[in-house]
Amino acid sequence: MIAALGRSLVLLALLVSTVGVVVGAATAMRRSAAGWAWTRRLAYLFALAMIAANVLMLWALVARDFSVSYVAQVGSRAIPNWVAVVSLWSSLEGSILFWGLVIGAYVAVATWANREQHPEYMPWAVAVWLACGAFFAFLLAGPAQPFQTVHPVPAEGPGPNPLLQNHLLMAIHPPFLYLGFVGMTIPFGLASAALLTGRLGHDFLRPLRTWLMLPWTFLTVAIVLGGWWAYEVLGWGGYWAWDPVENASFLPWLTATAALHSALLTERKGVLKGWTVTLVLATFLLTILGTFMTRSGVFNSVHSFTQSAIGPTILVFLVLALVWSIALLALRIDRLGAEGTIEPALGRDALFLVNNLVFVLFTFTILLGTVFPLLVEALRGVQMSVGRPYFDRMAVPLGVALLLLMGVGPALPWGRATPAQVRQALVPPLKGAALAAALGAALGVRRPWTLVALAFGGYTLQVTLRELWLPLARRRRAHGESFGRALVEAGFVRGRRRFGSYLVHAGAAMVIVAIAVSSTMGESREAQLRLGEKTEVGAYSLTFLAVDQVSEPHRQAVVARVAVTRAGRDLGVLSPRMNQYERQREPIGTPAVRSSLFEDLYLSVMNIDPAGGNLGLLAMVNPMVGWIWAATALMAIGSLVSLVPSRADTRP
Amino acid sequence: MSEGGASKGKPRPFNRRVLLAGLVVVAPLVAVLVMNLGRNPHLIASPLVGRAAPDFVLRPLDGGEPVTLASLRGRPVVLNFWATWCVPCFEEHAVLVSAARATGDRAHFIGVVYQDDEEQVRAFLARQGSAYPSLLDPGSRTAIAFGIFGVPETFFIDGEGRIAAKHVGPLDAPSLEAKLRLSGLAP
Repeated sequence: MIAALGRSLVLLALLVSTVGVVVGAATAMRRSAAGWAWTRRLAYLFALAMIAANVLMLWALVARDFSVSYVAQVGSRAIPNWVAVVSLWSSLEGSILFWGLVIGAYVAVATWANREQHPEYMPWAVAVWLACGAFFAFLLAGPAQPFQTVHPVPAEGPGPNPLLQNHLLMAIHPPFLYLGFVGMTIPFGLASAALLTGRLGHDFLRPLRTWLMLPWTFLTVAIVLGGWWAYEVLGWGGYWAWDPVENASFLPWLTATAALHSALLTERKGVLKGWTVTLVLATFLLTILGTFMTRSGVFNSVHSFTQSAIGPTILVFLVLALVWSIALLALRIDRLGAEGTIEPALGRDALFLVNNLVFVLFTFTILLGTVFPLLVEALRGVQMSVGRPYFDRMAVPLGVALLLLMGVGPALPWGRATPAQVRQALVPPLKGAALAAALGAALGVRRPWTLVALAFGGYTLQVTLRELWLPLARRRRAHGESFGRALVEAGFVRGRRRFGSYLVHAGAAMVIVAIAVSSTMGESREAQLRLGEKTEVGAYSLTFLAVDQVSEPHRQAVVARVAVTRAGRDLGVLSPRMNQYERQREPIGTPAVRSSLFEDLYLSVMNIDPAGGNLGLLAMVNPMVGWIWAATALMAIGSLVSLVPSRADTRP
Repeated sequence: MSEGGASKGKPRPFNRRVLLAGLVVVAPLVAVLVMNLGRNPHLIASPLVGRAAPDFVLRPLDGGEPVTLASLRGRPVVLNFWATWCVPCFEEHAVLVSAARATGDRAHFIGVVYQDDEEQVRAFLARQGSAYPSLLDPGSRTAIAFGIFGVPETFFIDGEGRIAAKHVGPLDAPSLEAKLRLSGLAP
């Protein structure tokens, strides 16, 4: 019953989106008010069908209705309800269904938000969105059907992948990632519309920027949540491994960040229109490439879904999207003529160009490292992997360069700066640089790259704080306002976009510095302990107290109790554990992490004997890891602040 | 282009440089992805293939003398690591049983039980039928010697005790036949 209803909803979504593409394109070509109304209705109906299909699947998952094929595949009576809900995106078919939900919601909201604006662009944009929606509806109707009827109905299912049941972050990381990935469809549609109409007016840059920034925010958070999850679950003490699928999420982030910056220059100076549009298209294409990487089984990764038949289908979609983008750019880019010029001198304009150059270089570097092993294997039949050394060697200088650019760019005035202005802008922040580097050196930092990162971080932070502070101080002087009032007025009421952007910069600078410090300044110790024995890592002393066996409905766990003291002070007991799920051979560890302001104590069980004799313990002290999570929250807040339109933005 | 002739003084139909740059970036990428479509990154070539199989001494499920690999020399051996809790093993069971019946005494089919409960194995075989002995591998020593990554995995050992081929995942009739041919069992 449910299966049949679900199939009907998917078919409805496919039908409605296909008709919507035709109606939208026709409306765009001949400008009809009735046509636009129908395009919108079809977009809303598509969203409705997708939402309903997802609600239905959730209901089936929670009710453990094993007559629905997807539930039979991932459901189980032994799992808690939150895992049942989360398993909506835990496996291939469900994840595509969830993709449908997200694209439906995005299309509906973006259509509604622009229903009375930009009449020359919007029908094209909706047509492109619905074309993407139609592809995913097609996947659900054919190659990746979640709503098949199972007969006879099994009494019990296997439950989702244990890695996904192991931590609550798995309930949060994937939805954010989808909101980031799928959301890039919206700017793709808007950019396509700009190319199709052959113009990109000043008024249309605002929706383009807003709808790029929204998924960008989700993607930023998602990437870091993924790192956090790896840190809290996988037990090797790190948060980023340059895994192909991690790279797949990072690639569109890089181009989207570049696009956000070049869009700003386009908005201010009327230049780089074609380039901005190209970056937006590339961002979308990279999300589809990333989807292919996870779903085709071609790449080996923690993230890959089981091998499936949809790989070739997604590849076809990727090729179509590539052909569409290149053809559209080649045909129309010359019409997006510049309305101004870039000052060919040292100044903020030029720094924007350098920023874009570094981001694009970064993108190509990661793309090359990700795809290169495939090329070698295809040509020579040898399995190989481009490991961390390549990525670290390439990413460190690029990341550090971006860190410095975040300081130098905003310090410089727009346009052409005189040598005196340049000196006045660039010299004072050297104090911040010196301070941060000296502080680091005093705390024992010796590696040159880490010191460079600290110095650049200090430089950028000083510039950023000044940019955050200046309007506020100006208000206090001009209007005699209190600090709180001036903060609210300058930061949140008037200069929201600017204020938010600098909050993002402050967060990004902190993330880069924290990565530099945590990845070079940690300590680790591996020890085999018998009951009662001690080991030490950093300033911590660890005593292996006991082993407990815990039985939970969906898993068995062996828990090690480790007493922690630091400089004689008792810090309590940490309990890293090893979880054993039914029907899963490999146990999955859960490390125990004790976070303090400057460092984490990270304990992970490598092996443990349930009878209680032996514990193989990995103990690490990871400095500043918590700052990455906190600084990312700052980036997200800054981004949201700048997303809300402010009064100053609605200038004539 | 017929519509929107407002472009200023640049009547070029399309921008060749953009087209060329796009193709230069995209064509190799797509080519690499297409070439790799059928690839399974989880298949790592076993270094054991071509070498002598590690010997073992394992007790059969239904009692009796322990079986050694050396004692099976002379005829090809199909060594299948499996467990009752593994769904793909369930799928391939019928294929293995009928192949074992068809080959008769031209080859030995041997199951090695991987991390499982003896009672459950007995119940499984009673329910699903069996045509060849299953050996118990307490402590998974033999599985480790063979470098088992997950069940099911099947090794094809020729008459001289060399590993001729390995199969990861459930066997279907055609792939079983192909691997049997490799290990010197021409049908």
